[in-house]
Amino acid sequence: MANIERRDFLKLVGAGGIGAGAGFMLSESTKHPLEYLVPYAVPPEEFSSGIATWYNSVCSMCSAGCGITVRTREGRAKKIEGNPAHPVSQGAVCALGQAGLQALYNPDRLTGPLVQNAERGSAGFVKTTWDEALGRVGETLSALKAAGQGDRICLLTEGVGGHLAELFERFMAELGADRLLHYEFAHPQTLYAANQRLFGETRLPYYDLQNADYVISFGADYLSTWISPVHHSLGFGRSRHARPDARGYFVQVEPRMSVSGAAADEWLAAAPGTEGLFALAIARHLVEKRYRGADRDAWAAALDRYTPASVAEAVDLPAARIERVAQKFAASKASLAIGGGTACSHTNAVATLVAVNALNYLVGNLGKPGGVVFNPEPAVGRDTQARHATYRAMRELADAARAGKIDVLIVNNTNPLFTLPDAAEFAAALQEIPLIVSLSSFPDETTAMADVILPSHTYLESWGDHSPEPGVGFPVGAVSQPVVSPLYNTRATGDIVLALARQVGLDEALPWPSMEDYLRDSWRTIHAQVSGGTEGFDTFWRDILRAGVWGEDTGRDHASVSVSRNVIASIDVGEPEFAGAEETYPFVLYPYESNALRDGRGANLPWLQELPDAMTSIVYGSWIELNPQTAAQLGVKEGDVLDVESPYGKIAAPVYVYPAIRPDVIAIPIGQGHTEYGRYARNRGVNPIRILAPQMEPETGALAWSATRVKLTRTGRHVELVKTGGESRELGRDIVQIASSTPAQGEARSVALQSTRLRSIPITVEPT
Amino acid sequence: MGVSIVPTLRVLKPAALIGVVGLVGMFAGYWANATFFPGTTPVQPINFSHRIHAGDFEIPCQYCHTQARRSISAGVPSVNKCVGCHNEVATDRPEIRKLMNYWVNKDPIPWIKVHDLPDFVYFPHKRHVQANIECQSCHGPVQTMDVVTRIAPLQMGWCRDCHLENEVQHGQDCLTCHK
Repeated sequence: MANIERRDFLKLVGAGGIGAGAGFMLSESTKHPLEYLVPYAVPPEEFSSGIATWYNSVCSMCSAGCGITVRTREGRAKKIEGNPAHPVSQGAVCALGQAGLQALYNPDRLTGPLVQNAERGSAGFVKTTWDEALGRVGETLSALKAAGQGDRICLLTEGVGGHLAELFERFMAELGADRLLHYEFAHPQTLYAANQRLFGETRLPYYDLQNADYVISFGADYLSTWISPVHHSLGFGRSRHARPDARGYFVQVEPRMSVSGAAADEWLAAAPGTEGLFALAIARHLVEKRYRGADRDAWAAALDRYTPASVAEAVDLPAARIERVAQKFAASKASLAIGGGTACSHTNAVATLVAVNALNYLVGNLGKPGGVVFNPEPAVGRDTQARHATYRAMRELADAARAGKIDVLIVNNTNPLFTLPDAAEFAAALQEIPLIVSLSSFPDETTAMADVILPSHTYLESWGDHSPEPGVGFPVGAVSQPVVSPLYNTRATGDIVLALARQVGLDEALPWPSMEDYLRDSWRTIHAQVSGGTEGFDTFWRDILRAGVWGEDTGRDHASVSVSRNVIASIDVGEPEFAGAEETYPFVLYPYESNALRDGRGANLPWLQELPDAMTSIVYGSWIELNPQTAAQLGVKEGDVLDVESPYGKIAAPVYVYPAIRPDVIAIPIGQGHTEYGRYARNRGVNPIRILAPQMEPETGALAWSATRVKLTRTGRHVELVKTGGESRELGRDIVQIASSTPAQGEARSVALQSTRLRSIPITVEPT
Repeated sequence: MGVSIVPTLRVLKPAALIGVVGLVGMFAGYWANATFFPGTTPVQPINFSHRIHAGDFEIPCQYCHTQARRSISAGVPSVNKCVGCHNEVATDRPEIRKLMNYWVNKDPIPWIKVHDLPDFVYFPHKRHVQANIECQSCHGPVQTMDVVTRIAPLQMGWCRDCHLENEVQHGQDCLTCHK
């Protein structure tokens, strides 16, 4: 040891050093990571660390207007629940509503004003300041206003209600502009028209599912997408389980089984477009057996030819089956018929829905519990139905743009470039508009075409109010308040409009500094009407914010309705028209709104992307639903990629073999196939709207989105569908427990009798 | 046939020596880190003394940590709260000047956590305070510490020992703390 060599010494020093270093790092790695404990400099008034604060607000993810209550901790929104006091949601909220948090925290949100510096539609957006961006838009608006050319301004918004809708109206009126369009893909235009024709009602009625005993839904997937799914789900549950002496019986008439179809007691796959014929056959039975009104003879004359036997072939259901549904509908205490959704989006949609509504009239449920209740005026704002753009209106807008009649297009959170069938044509028309402004929070397809982007807050950061449409039979108003401070350099839509108004010099007409002030002022008027004075407004306002909702169940309006004899005489559902010849295009394409993504608005929210589809359990991506018989004919199995070709285009998607669809119909969910709209939505799946024919319901001009025929060709490719469910059949595992019951009073025989044929579909099967 | 291991040892000896020295170095490094840079006593942005506040002046814990009895977190006082007194008290001390710097800029003070539980542990202060557990039983004699140091190991066994000793209802259930 005494005479150690220099080299060895250095080696030992090196070893010791490395060892010490390793030991030091080892010790360091066992330590708890450094965490900070950062207090506020000045805490907000309501803040106490570790204790959640709940704020009541209104959901804006769809137009149903559910009341929500949002849990916040340390100034961050953490969870969305339904507001128990709100009559629409009553404490419940759907998947889309839950995912609102991901709209707020979305990594692809637009974080500040942008201007397009390069070619339109390119990625050449550069950051700018609000003053500059507003200035640029304001300048153009001022010039048009000064020249009296207000009609060259178009404001295209998502369906909004309450005082924001009113603010839009005022703003456009001050500019001398009338091109104010609310555009929503799935807006039930035809239902409005049908109600108008039959009952003279301009608003949608309230469908009282919870007290109904026998409900026939013609294509309306009321449990997952139709109009107000949360409220309908509550009603469905109560009709089924909340009454000791009654259990609602639900019949679903649609060519492809939806969630509502699966939940129903009977699912009837009528031929597409013949729902109206089915309804008229039931109507005839009602007139014969139950209806005793003064205009009975008129009805009898109009409906005489619609016997079950005569419609059976077209409807493609046995006459006896139709007869039996009619008998039960006529014999039940509270019968209700509803219609809508894809199955009622044919070229004869209005006539079909008139026929459906006639059932309600003939069965005498108007204004009754478990029936159709007409709605009063909205409690806040005004009716916006007249402003809702149909497909025809959108085409007219494109025509006007092409003719150079539009100088400014302001788009608010609506995405026609995704939800219009001929989007390419619409995009080309947009190119003719000198200035396109988008107020969207997200870089969607339409926003990508903008010249100036003035990004708006999400609903969780902004002030607003809402009256549910359709209402719940009595006036309800709800205020939505910000639950967190704005995350980015964005502004509330109302504030942007008010700022633009100031730019144009409308300070006098629209003097409010912010949307919050405008809202408070408007509610001051409501308060004055209610209380007859200005006293105590602050308390009133605070109470509304706390409750999140305002209204009083004053009892429902039981006004009687008479139907004019002309309308009765003109009842006829006509033939649905389909684009594409049956020989070349043998299948009817049935696009349906995805449960989670709806019309595509939810595609940028990862929670919804990974939410298994309720019927197929597929996550992410698109698929084609094929009847097993059709699949066998084509020689394809699950995962085989097929080309779906209509006369208007072609898309490709993998097959999902789905027993609950008619063999002559194929279904594709809407919602995927975005080319923009952030990292979660882009380049995933296909958009069936792309290949839809520009078919319209002739009276309203609404898009007939189930009126396209397609053909299928094999591509030879195969992909693995990503889904949580394994085998869709039971394979003798007895997953669906079946209890056989003795048939009572002509009641349905249990499914057990037929279970060998329909192992995996838990529905009642009738002996035919 | 016998095989001698001596030649092997002769080759291995320098290597073994290097290994031994390395190992000793490693222990030394570990010890040095644990002794001179203990994670239990982080260096705080302001040299705040609990001894002066809680010890000498006997200010009750919950005067500053107001949330302890009603929230899961005890609540670290806002800068606002500090300034409430230090606008008047000891304004000339260098540490108070630091505090006032934060206050003037309305910046929060980035305190470093001394007691930190992983995110998968649900630890409500309120339950423990309401059960009249002394703060000191977990946090140590804070009133004597100029710089707060962690005394308790904060490991699961330690939690459970106390729950067992005090016969806490459901005190041994997984879901009581992991939920």
